[in-house]
Amino acid sequence: MNTVITSVGKLFSSTAAPSQGQNILNNALQLIGIPMMGIAVFLLLWGTAAQNIDTSLGKFPGPAAVYEQFGSLYNEHIAEREKAAAFYERQEERNAKRVAQDPTYEPRIRKYTGKETFLDQIFTSLLTVMSGFFLAAFLAIPLGIAIGLSKTLNTAVNPIIQIFRPVSPLAWLPLVTMVVSALYVSPDPMVAKSFLNSLITVTLCCIWPMVINTSVGVASIDNDLVNVSRVIRLPALKHVQKIVLPASVPAIFTGMRLSLGVAWMVLIAAEMLAQNPGLGKFVWDEFQNGSSESLSRIMAAVVVIGFIGFLLDRTMLQVQRWASWDKSSASR
Amino acid sequence: MSVLLNISQVDMEFPTPKGSFTALKGVDLQISKGEFVSLIGHSGCGKSTVLNIVAGLYQATRGGVILNDKEVTEPGPERAVVFQNHSLLPWLTAYENVELAVKQVFGKSKSKRETKEWIEHNLKLVHMDHAMHKRPDEISGGMKQRVGIARALAMQPDVLLMDEPFGALDALTRAHMQDSLMEIQAELNNTVIMITHDVDEAVLLSDRIVMMTNGPAATIGEILDIKLERPRSRLELANDVEYNRLRSEVLRFLYEKQRKVEHITADSSAKKTNKDGQEKAA
Amino acid sequence: MKHLGSSLKRFKKNGIAKIAACVASVGLAFAGNQTLAEELGWPEKEELKFGFIKLTDMAPIAIAYENGYFEDEGLYVTIEAQANWKVLLNGVIDGSLDGAHMLAGQPIAATMGFGTQAHIITPFSMDLNGNGITVSNEIWEQMKPNIPKMDDGRPVHPIKADALKPVVEKYQADGKPFNMGMVFPVSTHNYELRYWLAAGGIHPGYYAPHKGDTSGQIDADALLSVTPPPQMPATLEAGTIYGYCVGEPWNQQAVFKGIGVPVITDYEIWKNNPEKVFGITAEFAEKYPNTTIRLTRALIRAAKWLDENNNANRPAAVKILSQSNYVGADYDVIANSMTGTFEYEKGDKREVPDFNVFFRYNATYPYYSDAIWYLTQMRRWGQISETKPDSWYVDMAKKVYRPDIYSKAAQSLIDEGLMDAKDFPDFETETGFKPPQKEFIDDIVYDGTKPNDYINSFNIGLKKGDVL
Repeated sequence: MNTVITSVGKLFSSTAAPSQGQNILNNALQLIGIPMMGIAVFLLLWGTAAQNIDTSLGKFPGPAAVYEQFGSLYNEHIAEREKAAAFYERQEERNAKRVAQDPTYEPRIRKYTGKETFLDQIFTSLLTVMSGFFLAAFLAIPLGIAIGLSKTLNTAVNPIIQIFRPVSPLAWLPLVTMVVSALYVSPDPMVAKSFLNSLITVTLCCIWPMVINTSVGVASIDNDLVNVSRVIRLPALKHVQKIVLPASVPAIFTGMRLSLGVAWMVLIAAEMLAQNPGLGKFVWDEFQNGSSESLSRIMAAVVVIGFIGFLLDRTMLQVQRWASWDKSSASR
Repeated sequence: MSVLLNISQVDMEFPTPKGSFTALKGVDLQISKGEFVSLIGHSGCGKSTVLNIVAGLYQATRGGVILNDKEVTEPGPERAVVFQNHSLLPWLTAYENVELAVKQVFGKSKSKRETKEWIEHNLKLVHMDHAMHKRPDEISGGMKQRVGIARALAMQPDVLLMDEPFGALDALTRAHMQDSLMEIQAELNNTVIMITHDVDEAVLLSDRIVMMTNGPAATIGEILDIKLERPRSRLELANDVEYNRLRSEVLRFLYEKQRKVEHITADSSAKKTNKDGQEKAA
Repeated sequence: MKHLGSSLKRFKKNGIAKIAACVASVGLAFAGNQTLAEELGWPEKEELKFGFIKLTDMAPIAIAYENGYFEDEGLYVTIEAQANWKVLLNGVIDGSLDGAHMLAGQPIAATMGFGTQAHIITPFSMDLNGNGITVSNEIWEQMKPNIPKMDDGRPVHPIKADALKPVVEKYQADGKPFNMGMVFPVSTHNYELRYWLAAGGIHPGYYAPHKGDTSGQIDADALLSVTPPPQMPATLEAGTIYGYCVGEPWNQQAVFKGIGVPVITDYEIWKNNPEKVFGITAEFAEKYPNTTIRLTRALIRAAKWLDENNNANRPAAVKILSQSNYVGADYDVIANSMTGTFEYEKGDKREVPDFNVFFRYNATYPYYSDAIWYLTQMRRWGQISETKPDSWYVDMAKKVYRPDIYSKAAQSLIDEGLMDAKDFPDFETETGFKPPQKEFIDDIVYDGTKPNDYINSFNIGLKKGDVL
């Protein structure tokens, strides 16, 4: 794909005169024009192909149908918000009435019980993925450092990591669900079980790239830097803080970026399978609904999922550039 | 002068999958306070191993090192090391690199202001005061090595250990660095052990040149006293008879008595592994 | 407030507008709350989560929510679609769901300990009928020659499994397993499909849980397996199964998608058969008695609304059900069965006014005899592996079906004037046993007071004393 784009770019630049202005124009073309063209060609192909795919739910949705769905999904969101406002209003009236009759009653405002809109689901998914990811980072980075520092620990833990790393989230999910149900018993739970299920599944799957990258980063610290630390007699904790951690920051961030990508993919699958709130559930619900609009709504979700995945990766890249002393590591 | 550092009958064996490899055998050397000693020898002869044992980074298999009447068992700031590849922490500025060492070595015995002045003083000594807030990737190789030296000096070591400090620099920069080092030495009169490959460098800087035989089981071949007047000037010395005699002595030792049969390519690759102390690989 | 309530009542009497009626009912509920506070206490638990499976018969829950009946009771209910019946049942058992739309067999089987053991009760029966059996186009073409035709060329209904028997035999002769889908081992659909097949001489297979065999395919001519309702059409389309028994809209969906033909509705297998129930744990009912009565009240009101004025509210109900968070299928698909019609072959749309019954014929009252019918079928197909005395059937039914809760809820609605006593059975005299029912496809009479006699009356099925 890349080579195609560059060769197309060359085609343009070879016909242009090599003046300064032309060069800027060419660069703009390369940066904006060509990706735009790529997208246009893709939309065209998609539209044409969609026309020719007949499913039992009607034709496969083309770009226009999906675009339309974005509008209606947004409208649904607005409508639901209005319903929520009415819900709260009714609740307040009811609470006031009950207090009048039953002065001991302590009125409480309960959360809106209506459905989660598409926008809510996006938010839920983002929240879940970030929570799972940060939990994983919280566990993985210290573990990775420990493994990287100790050859013995590395030898002991490595087989376990290698075995668990390729496990699909779908295999973890039933276990997570059962364990959470068994252990997380609270009459007034702070977070929903389904949220925990998704979160833990995400954590289990995205912890490994971080552990591995951190440990490799730590293990491959320049021996001279370790010697410097020994010569100035840094105590163990300070050694980790002043030398090990900063030295492995580039590797840790590379791992984090990989992990975040994994986390996002895993989350969608987990939500789908476990019916946990989020974009995955949205897709599955729409598939089950089997209405004539289902496919275009699913396609809209697919576009959003992809776009968010892309944004997450870009954000992580920026954070990596900002936080890491080794500027070249971000391009890896 | 009394003996400050006593390297006494040191043997060094490394375990390898094929059995133990004897890198050093019976290395014995006494160094007085304020003396500048160079270790010279072919790659793989164990120069760096000697230095690492003095630094405390390695433990001698037999024999040992005594500094100021105390046996060396672990690394410490009183034996500061200038590494071949500067070994600055890339995420810290020149100032911060020195600061890390100073704070660790002097702790609370220096006030904030004293600490700052001491760091700046040392950076000034190596002519790095103009770029002390730059990171290693923003300065040249020579400048990095200067910061490395400043860091070592800032620890106020009893012995300054330098492992081919100018080996990675181009000839012109190296000459500058050598001059700087002589200036500093004139001012501070440190006790220094320096490893070098460079015969001119050894003769120019040293009070004594310790020439090592080829490994395995390398040991001290000959020791050459350099009794040239200080301050020394490389231009004047170029035509000095004594200088040239000493120079040929060293060359004769290296290229006649301890001729290395290996190819030059193998030799240069071995040099790269030096910094890991994997001398046995050569 | 009382004044407002009564004036609104007058409005209603005058029959001004439907909207007014709606507002009135809300107003009445408020007015009623004052007297209610003394008799029926405030709900102990106000925030509830109910599960459902995407089927039109979940309608009472959706309507109770959308029409504000839950809120009238001071209940704040979240409604959540579940992946399949097992997930739903587990949700109720582990408490992540407070209650759910359940298959009639589920509370019974759970209480009995077939599958997952847990004491589940039901104070409210959700509907009558509403299921259908669909076969793939390929099977339909092969069945068609065996079905007598009316003058206009359309097949005569009800179609018996006799028409399917030669097809099944042909598949058996070719060594191909004849696979069919149902939604859950203790689902109405499983028993209805089995009843229909067995009535036509096709053996649907036995269960032998005491030997660890819960596949239900011992001695089977047709092999039945579990598929979640919403996935039925896709599974049929993929050719994994040749037919299925499921609730709506998944039979009509097959017609719309053009992938299969519904051959019979359960209304024709057993007229006005009890279908889904609302299940909660016995623990919940004990811990939150007021909440239990209040949620039953809301569901009763919703059921009434669904059947009111000769199904007049059905189009509005269909509109709600077609929302993506409820059933989510297209309006037309749901409307096809919910509004008194049923489309068999494409274009062959027939009147079936009672295809979905939510309230009339005392549909919501939890009859012991309904529970016992499910128990007899569990025994017939080996899910209950040994013979039990008639008294056992009655005890089990009384443990699960709770007309006592229902009567309390209904009575309070009557007392508040929200409902009419004639909408309900006479609670003074009601025994919980329907009189013997005759309208089965094979004309065998069911008397709930004599379960063992009933079990013995079938040609195919385990009888008294049989153990696999």
